[in-house]
Amino acid sequence: MLPEATVHDILTLGKSRGADFVEVYAEESHAATLELTDRKIDTVNSGVSFGVGVRLIFGDEAYYSYSSDPERDTLLALTDNMAASRATGAAPGTISPFRVETLQNRHPVREFPGGVSKEERVILLRRLDELTRNQGEGVRQVSGRLSEKERKIFIANSEGLWVEDSRQYARVALAAIAEKGDGPQVASESPGALGGYEFFRELDLDRLAEDTAASALRMADAGYIQGGVMPVVLGSGFGGVIFHEACGHPLETESVRKKASPFAGKLGQPVAQSILTAIDDGTLVNHWGSLNIDDEGMPAMRTVLIENGILKNYLSDRIGAAQVGVPRTGSGRRESYKYAPASRMRNTYIAPGPHTMEDMIASIDSGLYARKMGGGSVDPATGEFNFAVQEGYAIRKGKIAEPVRGATLIGKGFEVLPLISMIGSDLHLSAGMCGSVSGLVPTTVGQPSLKIDRILVGGR
Amino acid sequence: MDPLQAIEQALSLAREHRERHVDVVLSRSESLGIRVCEGKVERVEQSTDLGLGLRVVQEGRTGLSFTERLTADTIEKAFLEARANAALLDPTEVVMNETAPGVPDPEVLELYNPALESLTAEDLTRFALEMEAEARRADHRVSTVTHSVARTGRNTYITASTHGVRYTQRSNSVGAGCGVLLESHGNRKSGSYGWSARVWDPAQAALVGREAAQRGGKLLGAKPIPGGKLPIVLDEFTAPALLSMYLGNFHAEAVQKGRSRLKGRLGELIASEDFTLTDDPHRVGAPGSRFLDAEGTPTRALNLIENGALTSFLYHIESARKENRASTGHAGRGYGGGIGTHSHNLVLPTGNHDLEALCALPERCLLVTELEGGSGCNPISGDISIGVQGFLMENGRSVQPVDSVTIAGNFYALLKSIRARGDRYQPHLSSRFIPALLVDGFTISG
Repeated sequence: MLPEATVHDILTLGKSRGADFVEVYAEESHAATLELTDRKIDTVNSGVSFGVGVRLIFGDEAYYSYSSDPERDTLLALTDNMAASRATGAAPGTISPFRVETLQNRHPVREFPGGVSKEERVILLRRLDELTRNQGEGVRQVSGRLSEKERKIFIANSEGLWVEDSRQYARVALAAIAEKGDGPQVASESPGALGGYEFFRELDLDRLAEDTAASALRMADAGYIQGGVMPVVLGSGFGGVIFHEACGHPLETESVRKKASPFAGKLGQPVAQSILTAIDDGTLVNHWGSLNIDDEGMPAMRTVLIENGILKNYLSDRIGAAQVGVPRTGSGRRESYKYAPASRMRNTYIAPGPHTMEDMIASIDSGLYARKMGGGSVDPATGEFNFAVQEGYAIRKGKIAEPVRGATLIGKGFEVLPLISMIGSDLHLSAGMCGSVSGLVPTTVGQPSLKIDRILVGGR
Repeated sequence: MDPLQAIEQALSLAREHRERHVDVVLSRSESLGIRVCEGKVERVEQSTDLGLGLRVVQEGRTGLSFTERLTADTIEKAFLEARANAALLDPTEVVMNETAPGVPDPEVLELYNPALESLTAEDLTRFALEMEAEARRADHRVSTVTHSVARTGRNTYITASTHGVRYTQRSNSVGAGCGVLLESHGNRKSGSYGWSARVWDPAQAALVGREAAQRGGKLLGAKPIPGGKLPIVLDEFTAPALLSMYLGNFHAEAVQKGRSRLKGRLGELIASEDFTLTDDPHRVGAPGSRFLDAEGTPTRALNLIENGALTSFLYHIESARKENRASTGHAGRGYGGGIGTHSHNLVLPTGNHDLEALCALPERCLLVTELEGGSGCNPISGDISIGVQGFLMENGRSVQPVDSVTIAGNFYALLKSIRARGDRYQPHLSSRFIPALLVDGFTISG
């Protein structure tokens, strides 16, 4: 992607100006999107993103700069500017000889997007629209989007790393709006994979349409929930977004290194009941949040975060690992060349447990079954989170009762974690996009159904 | 390649391929940001973003493409892709503006201050260090300064078309943000504050650091209040943030596609009678100001709500032609995407009460100073369900910091239940001019 001499000169310049570590990251991405709204294909867009980022690390200080111009002189000037803005008395260093690494792609692409016509994608979107509308007269509007992206990345650093990788992503987003008198309700699903066009081909369109429309239709019938503190059963799959936001982010060294995390200094200590094990795994084949290597060039790996209730590991990048004093976990990620890498999640999930859904529901006299979660957010420093329930049901006397809307779950991650008392065996994973300091990255959240003994549910 | 050359090449390709209806947007941004931690520089980020977006309209079919690589080859490839993409679309109502309108020089909008060009990394570093130090000095319970960042940036945005539109607008700004974590007796609370402006003011460093610490400090020890109905006051920061989540309902595109409950309600009273909401594209210094929108349509001030009555939606060319009317000049576009509906600067006039007086109007109320995300807010149904933090107020005085509660209601009900408005807007660069609001009818769960 860049001439070896250019890369060599950038790294050498950075080291000669006293940097402890120098890294060059280049990326060329090809993205294509088709969108259908109101029965019409209304957007077809495609394009190329390209740029080069250079990072200099002096001790704890990181300098990052990027440009879309790959010319040697531009990149050397950019490196020189960074070095000049940091007056260092450090002795000039030298770079190690390049070790060219050839990666084995652990996430095979069986059908490259270029081999499939855009017309075929149009047919697929129209089919999805029709299937969704056919789920009921209450479905008033449908929109769908197919997104594909190929990211070719290149990383070299002053320690001799020289590696290239290619990541092919495919994702479909479907939204249905249903209305039965009391205002429109929207439901959406967005499955995705680190893979090629085969992902679309193998997708169960009937089920996707049914799940999406049924959720919107049920909520169109729903009354508002009465808020209060109550037990909640969180459905499998995207329910894992709560663990992702409320526990996953505070377990990133980006939060831990400043001690701005409730989990800082708690490695080896119990943080949950012994039935809970949580994992962040970047190696799951073709999963949306997987990688061959992270964006610092380290092979992706499986990291056990919590094992039988005991905090085992943080998620770390190069800088975070050094500052917290933990091993790197291959979690250095970035949205694109426009961001310096930071510790980020990959595929994060709570492992299956011993309980059944029936056990959990039967154990509750009055509470909420949050079958599908919407989005949410968290303050990693305090662990305070809030999440919308996309599809919820009242639980009465041990049984699932009427659908309810307008529920929001709020609490503090480290306080709620020990209140997870029952975990089912029905583990599912769901694709999402996670936004943080190094931009938006594809991540998977997941969990089996689980019971939280008490949590504040906002409602009317 | 120089940005203007890139645009000329794209339009020249259009002529060469006999495509009559092509427009181009080009954006170039540069920024410099300094983040400090514990008295020294932690991160320096310097960037140049450049991208060109192309739109080819063939008999109402709109094909899009973009490139961040500005070479002759990549621009030609992007042009050909946009043409090919157009062929896949269903016909739309899009017809490009046939004449290039004359507009005033965008510089009169005062969105660009040349003096900011002289800011250096050292200036920003000093600012960020002072901000961090002041945050620590302001409250001994500050255990961590989670971030202290100062940055400056500038942007040039160019719109051009085969119909002669050529519009260049540049802007710049400087800003900073500080976040702290406070700890006391086992309680933890975050506080943050930001600043953005078009005039460099080093004195802001201490003010921002102190405000971040004070905002968190006042909330330390917060606890829930019992659930029930209570008037709420949204301060001048949370009021625009909450209302902004629902302003998409005024986009004609949303109305036409069944995503707005305002369909068929033009002329109806949808808000209290002293409520007038205006979109003002020519407000001097406001970030959303511009004379031409992304399709080259001249912009003008527009009342969306006038004395409580719904008076207009926001249109771009496609949504306007569906109703056989003219665009209101509300097309927006980044180089990587398609045309969307964008408001410019939304203005709700201020009232007569400062925040303290506003809180004293009801005997008891909840003053909301922090919103916790917006995922429980449904822009389509108008439902509001959101975690908040703030203060329980009695007779205008704070009697308890509050957290772990949610407020629930509906945007459309809110418009009709605004009892009074604050006398000022939040002081930073923003395209939302919405003051603090005293609102009845919300349910609190705690």
